[in-house]
Order: sequence, then C-alpha cells, then structure tokens
Amino acid sequence: MSDRPMIEIESVSKWYESFRVLSDCTTAVGRGEVVVVCGPSGSGKSTLIKCVNGLEPYQEGRILVEGVEVGAKGTNLPELRAGIGMVFQHFELYPHLSVLENITLAQRQVLKRSKAEADERGRALLARVGLAEKERQMPADLSGGQQQRVAIARALALDPKAMLFDEPTSALDPEMIHEVLAVMSELAAEGMTMMVVTHEMGFARRVANRVVFMDEGRIVEDVETEAFFTAPESERGRDFLSKILNH
Amino acid sequence: MNYSFDWSVIWEYRELITRGFINTVLLSLLGLIFAALLGILMGTLASVSSRRLRWIATIYVETARNIPLLIHMYFWYIALAYLRLPAFACAVLGLSIYSGAYVTEVVRSGIAAVPRGQYAAALATGLPPFAAMRHVVYPQALKIVTPSLAGLASQLIKDSSLASVIAVAELTYEAGAIEGLTFRTFEAYIFVSLLYLALVTIVSQVLMLLTRSRKSETISVSEG
Amino acid sequence: MDVILPNLGFLLSGLATTAVLALISIVAGTVLGIVLGTLRYTSVPVLGQAAAIYIEFTRGIPLLVFLFLFYFALPALGGYKVSAYVAAAQGFSFFIGAYLAEDFRSGLRSVRPQLKQAARASGLTETQVFRHIVLPIALRRIIPTLFNQYVRLFKFTSVASVIGVSELTGRAMLVNAREFAPIAIIVTLALTYLVCCLALSSIGRALSHRFTVRT
Ligand SMILES: Nc1ncnc2c1ncn2[C@@H]1O[C@H](COP(=O)(O)OP(=O)(O)OP(=O)(O)O)[C@@H](O)[C@H]1O
Ligand SMILES: [Mg+2]
Repeated sequence: MSDRPMIEIESVSKWYESFRVLSDCTTAVGRGEVVVVCGPSGSGKSTLIKCVNGLEPYQEGRILVEGVEVGAKGTNLPELRAGIGMVFQHFELYPHLSVLENITLAQRQVLKRSKAEADERGRALLARVGLAEKERQMPADLSGGQQQRVAIARALALDPKAMLFDEPTSALDPEMIHEVLAVMSELAAEGMTMMVVTHEMGFARRVANRVVFMDEGRIVEDVETEAFFTAPESERGRDFLSKILNH
Repeated sequence: MNYSFDWSVIWEYRELITRGFINTVLLSLLGLIFAALLGILMGTLASVSSRRLRWIATIYVETARNIPLLIHMYFWYIALAYLRLPAFACAVLGLSIYSGAYVTEVVRSGIAAVPRGQYAAALATGLPPFAAMRHVVYPQALKIVTPSLAGLASQLIKDSSLASVIAVAELTYEAGAIEGLTFRTFEAYIFVSLLYLALVTIVSQVLMLLTRSRKSETISVSEG
Repeated sequence: MDVILPNLGFLLSGLATTAVLALISIVAGTVLGIVLGTLRYTSVPVLGQAAAIYIEFTRGIPLLVFLFLFYFALPALGGYKVSAYVAAAQGFSFFIGAYLAEDFRSGLRSVRPQLKQAARASGLTETQVFRHIVLPIALRRIIPTLFNQYVRLFKFTSVASVIGVSELTGRAMLVNAREFAPIAIIVTLALTYLVCCLALSSIGRALSHRFTVRT
C-alpha cells in the first residue's frame, strides 16, 4: 500500500466538443490529506472533481484512485464510486425517500447490507450529523443546511476512503453554512481524505493541507495552504484572493 | 400468413371514401366550432368571481366529460329520438358538448395564466369588461393554450369516428361499408387509419404553425 | 325506475364486465406504457424508433378504428379468430399503452440529471439508478395524468359494445330494445358512467396526494 497518494491526477485534459474544459491538470491527494480546489466560476473545478469518480469522462491523461485507473475500460465504476463519497452543491437528496431511506439505499443496493444493518448505520450517522430525530422526515421538510448534512451522512454510510465536495455550502443561507462546515471540519480532523471545491476561504485556511487554484481549465497553483494565503505565486491567484477576501 | 392483399378496392370505392372523408372533415369542423364557442363561454364563466356562475361551469365540465362520447351521441339520437334530429346533427351535438368540456378546462387555465393585472389595467383605461376580455385577456390566453387546443382538435377529429355508430356516413362508416362489400378487411381499415393519421397530423401541424407565425408577429411588432 | 329495476341484475353484470375489461386494460396498458416509455426515454437504437412509430401511429387514429383493426383486420391478416371481448381488451390495452408511453417518457425526463449523477456517485449501476430513483419519481409525478388516462379508458370501454361485447352499454341497449324506454335507460347509463369516472378520479387524487414528490 505504501505512500502512494489516494488520488493521482496526471496530465488530464477534457473537451466538450471543441471546447477545452481541462488542460493538462496534474495534482494528487494523499491519504488523510484535505485539498481545497478554488478558482473563478467556469474554471473547471466541478469538472475536475467529477472526473475523479468517473461521473465525467476525460480524453487525455490518467486518474488513479488507490492505483486503479478511473478511465480504463475494465474499471468497475460503480464499485469505484461506492468507495468515494460525494457531496453536491444542491444536496441531491432523493425526494421520494425519507431521510433514513436516503442513507440506506446504496448500503443495501451496492454493499448488500441487510435492512437492519443499514438502518443501524444510518441512524448512527444521523446522530453524528446532529439529525437523529429527523429520520422519518422527507428531504423537502428539512432546511438546506439539514439536507446537506443528510447528504454527507448518505455519503459516509458507504464507509468511503475519500470524500469529494462540490461547493457544499454555496446554496446555503449564511447561518446554515457553519453547521455544514463544522461537520466537514470534524471529518477532516478524523483523518478523512478530502477534495473540496469551495469559496469558503476561512474553512480552507483552517482545514486544508493544500490549495489547488484553477483558472480556465488549468491548475495554476498547487501549494501548501499557508503559502497560498500569504504569497500566491500567480497574478491570477493574487487577483482571485483579493477579490474573494475583500468581498 | 395466407392473406393476399388487394389494394385495388380502395381505388374502386374511392367515391365512398371521398364522401366519408368529406363528412369527417365537416363533422369535425362543426364540432370544433361549437366546442370552441361552448368552451369559451363556459371557460369564462369558470373564471368569474361569482361562485354561482362558476358552479354552472364546474357542473357542466364534470358531467360532460365523465360520460362517454358514445352515450352523448345515443342521448341525442336514441333518448331524444322523438325530436327526429338527423344523425349528423346528433353527432355534432354530442361531439361539441363532450369536447366543449375539455375546451372549457383549457380556456379556464389559459385565462388563469394571464396576470390579473392585465384585466384590471384594461378596465382602468376605460374599456368595458367585455372589450377588456375580447382585446386583452383572450388573445393572451389563446397564445398560452394553443398547443393544448391543437391537441384537443386532433382528439375531436379522432372522436368523430364514433358518429359511424349512429350511422353517419363518415370515414369509419365507409370503411365498414367497403369491408361489407368486398371483405377486404385489412385494406379498408388500414387505409382509413392512414387517412386519419394524415388528417390529424396536418391539422395539428397547421395549428402549431399558426401559433409560431403569431409569435413572430408580436416580435416584429415590438421591434418596429 | 320501472324499466331499470327488473333488469338490474342484467345491467349490473354488464357493469362488472365493463369494470373487468377496464381493469385488465389499465394493467396491461400501464405495463406496455412503462416498457414503451422506457424504450423512448433511453432511446435504445432500433427498438426505440420502433416504439416511436407505434406510438405515433396509434395516437393518430381513432379508438374505434383501432378496435376494428384488432377485431377484424389483424385476424383477417393472420388467419385467426378472436372473440369480441379479447379483441376489445387487446385494443384498449395497446391503445392506452401508446398514450401512457408518452406520459411515462415525460415523467422519466422530469428527473433532473444532477439527481441521477448523485445516485451514480454512490455506486448505483445505471439499472439501479433507473429502478430506484428515476422510475419511482416519474411514477409518482404522473399519477394525476395516469388517472386522467384511466378515466378516458373507462369511458372508452363503452365502445366495446360496438363490436358486440356485452358490457354495460351493450346490455343497456339490449334492455332498451326490449323495453323501449330510451330516456330512462340512457340517463341511467350516463349517470352510472359519471359516478364510476368521478370515483376513479377521486382515487387518483387521493393517491397523488399521498405520493406527491416535494422538492
Ligand atoms: N455539459 C457541458 N457541455 C458543454 N460545456 C460545459 C458542460 N458542462 C460544463 N461546461 C463548461 O465547462 C466549463 C467548466 O465548468 P465547471 O462546471 O467545471 O466550472 P466550475 O469551475 O465548477 O464553475 P462554477 O464555480 O460556476 O461551478 C464552463 O465553462 C462550463 O460552461
Ligand atoms: Mg461548479
């Protein structure tokens, strides 16, 4: 198993028709590491992390998750995805299932856990994200922050090796952002490997080990967190930081 | 499959088919006109503030559309046989009252989709209520509901085939006649099916085209 | 009432025939609708196009002509015999199936791609995503449309009398031929359909209320 990074992204490029969304992106996320991905809108952040679990295909380069190449023909994508949790900007809870059922569906269908086992795990995770009493509610009955915490519990239920977050707080009202970030910080503290697209620079500074800064489909900076905040190497990075921090 | 096709019967009995086709078109056209009038009237009633008038519309809609069209036709043709209405008239009555219920619902939803401020604004400029509806509300509502109306028109054309049951010599009836005369069952019914298909497709395409040209009209007006 | 009561048993068994015919056609038509709608939704190469042609053809022709195809034309073509009842059940199922297919397709399409992506991200296979996420959401969303079609079908069953099925309308006309009381008989007939259709609609409303998908 050695020191090989959990996620390795090597010279990845991706096109939509003739439009190049990702250009020669290279980075890696080590075991237990938290990497924040930031950059202006449309720079390809979502696209990049969706390539990691094969939700988006890429045309050039390689992405390895624990040494398994995501884009290779023989790769069992459902199996690979089950090992990586993902949290979305708009929660994407299943609207026809109760909170608990949202958390147990993949446990039962993918991991083939028994109902009792899945329910137990689901309840434990709900308690952990502070929503123990909500298990019977429907997603639409919860606030945005609560829905996002359920979504995190849903991802954790599969005991993932790593978690991907795509702007998990940008659809939330300010007072709810905190409750979601708290859960994420806790996860990081427990040693979860995380790749987080976010504009929450306070969170990045406190929690991230490294910051990846993207612009126009390129990884412009890939540095230690403190280095990024104190002395960004690129003009674009400085620009971005000053805009977002003075905002 | 030992069936040997003989499509020549279609040509042989072209007069029957033509007559049937013309009657289907006439029947549909009259049905459409009366259904539209009834639908606009009842749809407007359904949109007024008076609860009692709205009730009239609701009762009409719920009764007319929850009784099979065939029974509507039997009502005029058999139950009220003493009126001695011609079969064709019975078919038109049945079709318009039945389809009028669907038109009512469409008109009501169309009027509901026009912002209430539009009617109020029209009244405020001094238009009397009827003119306000006629010049401000209906045109906007019509544009919103044209796709649904096109759907209802095709439905009505297809529904008109039930008139054959009360011996109106429209297309379906003539298909039966040709079948009885020649035993070319398959040819007769497939050919008639294709005629209906063509008629329905043309009518709904034309209606949709009309909306599109109306849209471009408004755009050019607003640009000019 | 003088003409209805003595014939009540006869008419009620006609109503039972109508109900069974409607139920068979509703079940078969719904299954057909799901299959065809799914073929259209997933745009399976050849089958998807075949489904599209079938749906367009069926939706373009009158129910009565469609029934004649099943009762007269297809048996003539294939050299087989079929009872009026079976032809009616086949005709209704295939007819309503074409309409339901389009409703199912638009229901399936109403599920946001991001939601499917989230389901995929948790390791569900395409089939599981369809079976556990897309289909149940679509089904719940189209309950009102579905029941509109069922009510339509229930009314359609009266047309089966034209090819000689002895259902409610057919029997009512027989009673009329015997008793000659057209107003009483046809009004009773109309009211019976009215009550049944209203009942069916209210079941639909209750179900759609119970199963609304709120987002
Ligand atoms: N399906 C698609 N087809 C074509 N272009 C697309 C598609 N999806 C995304 N894009 C384009 O790819 C680029 C990168 O999109 P992406 O969603 O990865 O950006 P992002 O960095 O996540 O932006 P945001 O902060 O707005 O979420 C954008 O210019 C976008 O318009
Ligand atoms: Mg994004």
